[in-house]
Amino acid sequence: MTSCREYRVRKVVRGAAEGEAVVCPESFSFLGDVDLGTGQIIAAGNPNRGRGLKDTVLIYPETKGSSGGAVVLQTLVKKGLAPAAIITVKPVDYNLAEGAILSRIPFACEPDGDVLGQVKTGQRVRLDADAGKLEVLK
Amino acid sequence: MELTERERAMLAGDEGPVVAEAMDYLVQFGEAFDAERLVDLAYCHYPAEMAIYEGSVEDAVEYAARGAQVRVPTTSSTLCADVEKPTITGCPAALVDLQTQVVGAHRQMGICETFTCTPQFLGFVPPCGSYACLVESSAIIYYNSVLGVRTNRGGLFTRYSAITGKYPLMGYQLDANRRGTHWFRVDVPTARLQTYDAWCALGMHIGALVGSDVPVIDGIAPDRQEWLLGMGAALATSGSVTLFHIPGVTPEARTVEEAFRGGPPPEPVTVTEADLDAVYAAQTTIETESPIDFVLLGCPHYNLDQLRQVAEALAGKTVADGVRFWVCTNRMTRLQAEHSGYVQAIEAAGARVVADTCPVESHMRASTCRDHGLPVPNVEAMVCDSGKMIRYVGDLIGCRTALTQRAACIAAATSGRWEG
Repeated sequence: MTSCREYRVRKVVRGAAEGEAVVCPESFSFLGDVDLGTGQIIAAGNPNRGRGLKDTVLIYPETKGSSGGAVVLQTLVKKGLAPAAIITVKPVDYNLAEGAILSRIPFACEPDGDVLGQVKTGQRVRLDADAGKLEVLK
Repeated sequence: MELTERERAMLAGDEGPVVAEAMDYLVQFGEAFDAERLVDLAYCHYPAEMAIYEGSVEDAVEYAARGAQVRVPTTSSTLCADVEKPTITGCPAALVDLQTQVVGAHRQMGICETFTCTPQFLGFVPPCGSYACLVESSAIIYYNSVLGVRTNRGGLFTRYSAITGKYPLMGYQLDANRRGTHWFRVDVPTARLQTYDAWCALGMHIGALVGSDVPVIDGIAPDRQEWLLGMGAALATSGSVTLFHIPGVTPEARTVEEAFRGGPPPEPVTVTEADLDAVYAAQTTIETESPIDFVLLGCPHYNLDQLRQVAEALAGKTVADGVRFWVCTNRMTRLQAEHSGYVQAIEAAGARVVADTCPVESHMRASTCRDHGLPVPNVEAMVCDSGKMIRYVGDLIGCRTALTQRAACIAAATSGRWEG
């Protein structure tokens, strides 16, 4: 596949992964916004409500909510329901950084362009955290 | 990140796979936040891996079995049960048995079995200016602010810091992030600030205004260590404050100027008695003259002198039928209080001196019993002298609350009513 758009990103957790983008316009909390049994987004007001996170590239502005979110992320990994990669627009907070490192999910933040506006849910994207690169594939 | 030769060897596995894994996590963590290097820690306060969280105890046992050993002085935080005297709180045996497994795991790893939110009162006080990694927000803010021991809010990675004795140089470990950001001038009569609950109310008010910033609080005379503890716990409850300065009191702020590290202080905000009144009003949801069924003292854990005062205040009194009255502390302090006769005096009145835990960490937390398929204890109305406890019980126990001074807590316990 060729890349139709590319962003520079800042690595938080090493690794690379490809998947369908799930773009959430508002801040996101793993504790409360995701169903632990199904891995689906359950937050009222999230346009992706009902969509499963498994194998997706989750993109959102910033993490909110309880420190329990990091534990939720680990639980999703154990159940095979976790996203393949995560990208946040704002710098990562300590708690989610810990959760993502332990979960071994490629994770990056601070893209150099308007990913929330330009990347659409359902598009295939590839994050290479080590190379500091997010590609939208065509 | 720049690593020393020794740190590179640890990362490469020279000290075994458990240490190598811990170093790998810490290096990734530090690099994510542009930390230049790792620092050597003087102390860690370790999560107790409570049985209220699914899989947490099993995980602790497994980690110990892998041969993990702490390499700096490390204490443990609260459990979900009084495992020394499990029957006094009515904690279900299944939960106690599960939680007890952590005790052995921690001992195997070399963690001191303190099981408390206030290790500083057991003498774990590293030198001012040293680096540490702690869990428990009320201890974190006390170590940072009152003791000058530098710590971030340790989370899941406290484990890896204790195993390696390392933490990335970032956040509150750095001078630049320890500068005051807000200036509060407290204009409250000294007479109003002579009880523990009043300091909690002050902390609740300021914490809600500053969020995660660094308040400089001026014009107060905190003459008791527990007043600083209660205020800090409240700052870390209504906000997520990790560090405060009190000019002339705390070690990094001999003056207002020093609190702001020589930068221009922001416009001061005045705190008045009306602000404290508003906190009491917001935290008190029990209707006047209605019955109560829970009285709680000891959030964070009471020290020996506070237990002595409770014993004295309860002399000749009897707790009303149907009222649970817990005085929470840690096991060492309870042991000394038994030597001194305070525990016996408190129990003679019908109250309980509970160690290792507290209501919101225990089986009294509604979700805990539900998760374990156990009956949920019924609590209608709790009276307490702690801002932190009162803020959390509403959500976690689901009862009405009243924030008030200790004497009024004791009066409510003996009458079984909230007089308002």
